[in-house]
Amino acid sequence: MVKSTSKDAQDLFRSLHSAYSATPTNLKIIDLYVVFAVFTALIQVAYMALVGSFPFNSFLSGVLSCVGTAVLAVCLRIQVNKENKEFKHKTVVTNLRGIVAMFVIAV
Amino acid sequence: EANMMNLSRSVALISLFLLPLLSFSFSVDNPTDRRVLVLLDDLSLKSSHSIFFSTLKSRGFDLDFKLADDSKLALQRYGQYLYDGLIIFAPSTERFGGALDSKSIADFVDSGRDLILSADTSASDLIRGIALECGVDFDEDSSAMVIDHSSFSLSDGDHTLIAADDLVKSDVILGKTKIEAPVLFRGVAHSLNPTNNLVLKVLSASPSAYSANPSSKLSSPPQLTGSAISLVSVMQARNNARVVISGSLQLFSDRLFRSGVQKAGSPNKYEKSGNEQFATELSKWVFHERGHLKAGSLVHHRVGETDEPAIYRIKDDLEFSVEILEWSGRSWEPYVADDLQVQFYMMSPYVLKTLSTDKKGMFHTSFKVPDVYGVFQFKVEYEKLGYTTLSLSKQIPVRPYRHNEYERFIPTAYPYYGACFTTMAGFFVFSFVYLYHK
Repeated sequence: MVKSTSKDAQDLFRSLHSAYSATPTNLKIIDLYVVFAVFTALIQVAYMALVGSFPFNSFLSGVLSCVGTAVLAVCLRIQVNKENKEFKHKTVVTNLRGIVAMFVIAV
Repeated sequence: EANMMNLSRSVALISLFLLPLLSFSFSVDNPTDRRVLVLLDDLSLKSSHSIFFSTLKSRGFDLDFKLADDSKLALQRYGQYLYDGLIIFAPSTERFGGALDSKSIADFVDSGRDLILSADTSASDLIRGIALECGVDFDEDSSAMVIDHSSFSLSDGDHTLIAADDLVKSDVILGKTKIEAPVLFRGVAHSLNPTNNLVLKVLSASPSAYSANPSSKLSSPPQLTGSAISLVSVMQARNNARVVISGSLQLFSDRLFRSGVQKAGSPNKYEKSGNEQFATELSKWVFHERGHLKAGSLVHHRVGETDEPAIYRIKDDLEFSVEILEWSGRSWEPYVADDLQVQFYMMSPYVLKTLSTDKKGMFHTSFKVPDVYGVFQFKVEYEKLGYTTLSLSKQIPVRPYRHNEYERFIPTAYPYYGACFTTMAGFFVFSFVYLYHK
């Protein structure tokens, strides 16, 4: 049983990996950016756990800026993803440039 | 014109009468007593205790001798006290004459005035009652005297003339010169409640003393024994009135002042007993010629400034100083001591520092305000044996940092600053990469 569950995990991981490689490069760039932002936020939380929350305002500004930019990047990914058929944006802009411009302004 | 002349003459007469009262009243600036009423139950005490009274007169006291049952006795007239001190050498008086009773004497002490009370081989209930008001319990047995079979004076036969040398160790109460010879005592014993911290034994009996009737056989062990027996006690009330209670009137008499003393079992023979020095020094203390302190105002300010701020910030450096003077009998001298402390107090002392003195009466220290904000008090509470109690306080609030009083860049927050900047850099790089990748 153990062997089969580990084999299942390995199979699962391999299938995920192969599916993910099929995504377009631009989406992968966005994913990388999101991972970077969340990673930075997690580092700050770990630092706060170590040192204590003395300048709490600084902690909040650091974490929330990282999380905010991650969220905005995720929104960008949703809007840019061609396979996303539910999202028919009836927004002002319909092209890629407009979407990226919205992202830049939001950040 | 006749009316005008009469008016001016009567005004002059009245001012003549008032003038001595004004210049000799004791006050906050001049705390030594001046006018002392001496109550005697027998006018022969004036001559049998003449040395004691003449030392008082030579120090400037104005003694007024009256019989204890004189019907014109009064301590007050029209709400003003006529005397600053009271000496009651009337151990057998049952009732005072005039307007005096134990309640008026208690009010006299409550007003801050001083008292010397002495019992002798007999002590009436009135005297016992006054002593009880001051926290001193005379032996209930009215025929009991202090008997000591190992500390008696050799000049006496029946062991009731005690040669006592167990004096309290206090330079302020008994003077700087040590009393070498024992003090002769013949009288009744009293005891103090040990939880009462206002009374103090000045002359205690030796461990072999006890209180019993010397002329009858002891049928049961005596109640008062040993060093629990006090021969002379003092009380300093919370308003700094001072009371001396003695179990022996003969202690103040000329006969015992002049007599030599040799304690049984000791080879030392003294020409003169310690009584005169003891009584004189004690009277100096009780009438506020020694050990009376006065404090100036508390001064505090930040280091480097001279004005007193209305509010401190946490972690400020501040300096604190207070001026304390001691009355020398004639003038205010600077007080010198190394055990005065100041507390920075809010429900409990956050800072407790011993003040250092410049020997000119100024006591100062400096410390950092603690890292707690609230309303604090500078408190000086000084209760030294024999000195007046000092209880001074001054309130001051303490505030936390204002938002612009923190450091511009907090060192512990550098990772957060770094995170913000890397996020900005990452966004910049990402936007380029995303837009222009192939």
